[in-house]
Amino acid sequence: MLIGVKKEKDTAEAIARRQAMGESYWGIVRRQFRKKRLAVWSLRLLYGLIFIALTADFMANERPLYCKIDGQVYFPVFKQYAVALGLSTWEAQFFQKGWREHEYETVIWAPIPYSATTIDRKNNNYRAPGGEQDVESTRFRHWLGTDQLGRDVAAGMISGTRIAMLVGVVSMSIAALIGVFFGALAGYFGDDRFRASRIRVALNILGFLASIFYGFTARSYAFSEGTFSVELLKSLGIIAAIMVAANLLAGFLKRFPVLGRPVTLPLDLMVMRLIEVISSIPGLLLVLSILAVIEQPSILYVMAIIGLIRWTGIARFIRAELLRIRSLEYIEAAQALGFSEWRIIFRHAIPNALTPVLITIAFGVASAILLEAFLSFLSVGVPPEQVTWGSLLRLARSQASAWWLAIFPGFAIFLTVTIFNLLGEGLTDALDPRLRS
Amino acid sequence: MVQYLIKRILIFIPTLLVISLLAFGLSKIAPGDPVEMKLRGFGPDQQNPANAERVYRETADFLGLDKPVFYIGLSPAAYPDTLYNILRRDHRENLSKLVAQYGAWPPISDYYHRLLRMNYVLQEVGRQEQGNAFRSIRSALQQLFLAHADSRITSLLEEAETLALQDSSLQAALLPPIRELKSSYQAIKDQARPGLLYLPDIKWYGLDNQYHNWLMGFLQLDFGISYYDSRPVADKMKDALFWTILINGMAILVAYLLSIPLGVFSAVWKDSFFDRSTTLTLFILYSLPSFWIGTMLLVFFTTPEYGMDWFPSIGLGNLPPEAPFWSRFWERASHMGLPVFCLAYGALAFISRQMRGGMLNVIGQDYIRTAWAKGLSGRAVIWRHAFRNALFPIITLFANIFPAVFAGSVAIEVIFNIPGMGKLTIDAILQRDWPVVYTVLMLSAILTMAGILIADVLYAWADPRVSYSRNKS
Repeated sequence: MLIGVKKEKDTAEAIARRQAMGESYWGIVRRQFRKKRLAVWSLRLLYGLIFIALTADFMANERPLYCKIDGQVYFPVFKQYAVALGLSTWEAQFFQKGWREHEYETVIWAPIPYSATTIDRKNNNYRAPGGEQDVESTRFRHWLGTDQLGRDVAAGMISGTRIAMLVGVVSMSIAALIGVFFGALAGYFGDDRFRASRIRVALNILGFLASIFYGFTARSYAFSEGTFSVELLKSLGIIAAIMVAANLLAGFLKRFPVLGRPVTLPLDLMVMRLIEVISSIPGLLLVLSILAVIEQPSILYVMAIIGLIRWTGIARFIRAELLRIRSLEYIEAAQALGFSEWRIIFRHAIPNALTPVLITIAFGVASAILLEAFLSFLSVGVPPEQVTWGSLLRLARSQASAWWLAIFPGFAIFLTVTIFNLLGEGLTDALDPRLRS
Repeated sequence: MVQYLIKRILIFIPTLLVISLLAFGLSKIAPGDPVEMKLRGFGPDQQNPANAERVYRETADFLGLDKPVFYIGLSPAAYPDTLYNILRRDHRENLSKLVAQYGAWPPISDYYHRLLRMNYVLQEVGRQEQGNAFRSIRSALQQLFLAHADSRITSLLEEAETLALQDSSLQAALLPPIRELKSSYQAIKDQARPGLLYLPDIKWYGLDNQYHNWLMGFLQLDFGISYYDSRPVADKMKDALFWTILINGMAILVAYLLSIPLGVFSAVWKDSFFDRSTTLTLFILYSLPSFWIGTMLLVFFTTPEYGMDWFPSIGLGNLPPEAPFWSRFWERASHMGLPVFCLAYGALAFISRQMRGGMLNVIGQDYIRTAWAKGLSGRAVIWRHAFRNALFPIITLFANIFPAVFAGSVAIEVIFNIPGMGKLTIDAILQRDWPVVYTVLMLSAILTMAGILIADVLYAWADPRVSYSRNKS
């Protein structure tokens, strides 16, 4: 995708080279994008945020990165991943004592030697960043202060970066998958092009009802007893099996002339009605009421729900693009060559329609991050032990003297949201053909 | 146009149906029993099962929860269509878990009725007997109401039986019913028909169901009674709506009054220092999350910590109604300053950006050049010719902004503790006060859709080039 900004000289040479040989579409877009200084800077900051999110465990961790005890060498931060995956277990001594209480021969701590959930009892009750702190040395200072329990705010900010990035990426991926699928259906087939045999339509409706019954209604006991995610996967497997069976049966039965007569489905109309319904639902209130119902809150539900309600913009963009693309010559050529409709949609039409979706995704990530911060600010839907920017900001309300809790997390939210908004604007300009000169 | 309007209004119906189904469905999956919630604090005499059952039944009837949930139900054929008659939610769910394991309703129903009868037997025996053995038997039997796993039920029954065998005074009265209970549980296992669990069965419950009653009430503007404090939802909302409309109205007014001149002048003096600085400031304002700014203002300007205690703290003030009008007015106004600012700045930035864009479009038109060319004064060109044409889209924005501001005020009302719609909604959601949640969801959906529709209509009315009838497009 958008490749980072290199040195000015390189770019000038590259552009000259490309122009000589006829520039590619992405080349033009990239060049156009680089003209906006703010957009370029936000891209650089975004790389920074992504770096923090990816290396969060190494930047803030109560465990040492490397340590040597009694001649034994350990890499506790790496080991933490192995333990989480069930590949390894902690040695008994690490259970018996806290990480700071061991007799290390040599030790390398993470830049911030606290995890987001580490409770430093000696520095509880809101220690200010510049104020007096009861620490062994400057190495262990709480540079951004602590909260009431004595948790390090800097470590919380880093864990919050990871959560925010995760929410933005995962929820927008879900939204993009749904949006591209529905948008492509509506745009490519329109109201008149989707034809299926009667029996296929009927069996798909029946299959859908049967899937609900066998996938969810009949399995409600299994859902209440087993692990939710495992049971959900099983249910999805059952649904997939039923739908495949229905379509295989339809393929066989459509040989009979009565059953095989084609019907036209107005897909565009159906999808557009669905979009209208979803976009007039008051999203925030719906998300709040869904999340308040869930008994075991998890950030995964927040991401899934944001994705499920925020796909309409993407679907609209894709639909508009495909309505234009579907009458282009190369699509007609592909149809004349006898390619299947699905192959044309996914291999030929969608790749050319994806560009404007990037704009919607950039703005979408901004609003998803904002929504997640707001939800954890209200402490709805996010588990209480999870430290996020929003949950840190919430703490500021209960203690007015803790200014560091009001300023730092809020500024992080603001910065991230602005970065994505600026990226969206930069992309809008870069992709606008009128501005190209 | 009329045709278009009718079509648009017809789309309202499925949308509202979807939202009502979503809200209603959510309230049914939500954990917690509204009847229990309401009974909490009344403390019906739990020692007397007949009394407890009567109070429970009356409360459920009062809340309308003794009806079937929906018009139709899709469930495996093993489930009876009268399961809703078992009013207690925890009992009902436990029984349906039993059905899900064994698939035969008649023996399960028999077992449940024996359990209920057991309650009366225990009460009879309990009049004379309050020993330890009796208490253990009673607690084991009570736990059976919420036990569905085979091992758990068996062990509870065994426990009750052994205890009853050991105690000679209880043996006569309790042993036979416990044995009966045991054999009826054995009957469940013997008569199991798991095949029925995979046979779909559609049940029709008729019009007298919870959803229908609620929806019909809603259409007649009867929004029901709050589960939490038994006040009519309409009353609760009336008070809340007053504050929300007041602060949102003021915020939108302020936003419009400031943003229109800002937008116009930054378009007229495009690329000047004024334009650049306002554009940048407005962009930053637009990106500032209002709940952050709200928290910051709260922390810095309403507390004495930083020597900037310029505004009164949260709430709306508490002067009694007898206080002089002006002092009450001043009290309220000073409390509303910060919330209104928080609501206004986002809308302000958005409207000015739109205004600037609209003005720039108009200024590039030929007729503006003509106006300049014929020697009109700058003021006349800008305000009479350009501004009027750029204003229409801004008016239509109003309809779009209102629902957005309405939702945005959730954060502000929570932060500044204003008893408006946002706070009411959040509280209702957290307390699982479903009648309030349904109503707010439905009303705000109607507001959103009406807003979009009004915007479209205004747009067509203001700009003759926009047409929604099919033959022209």
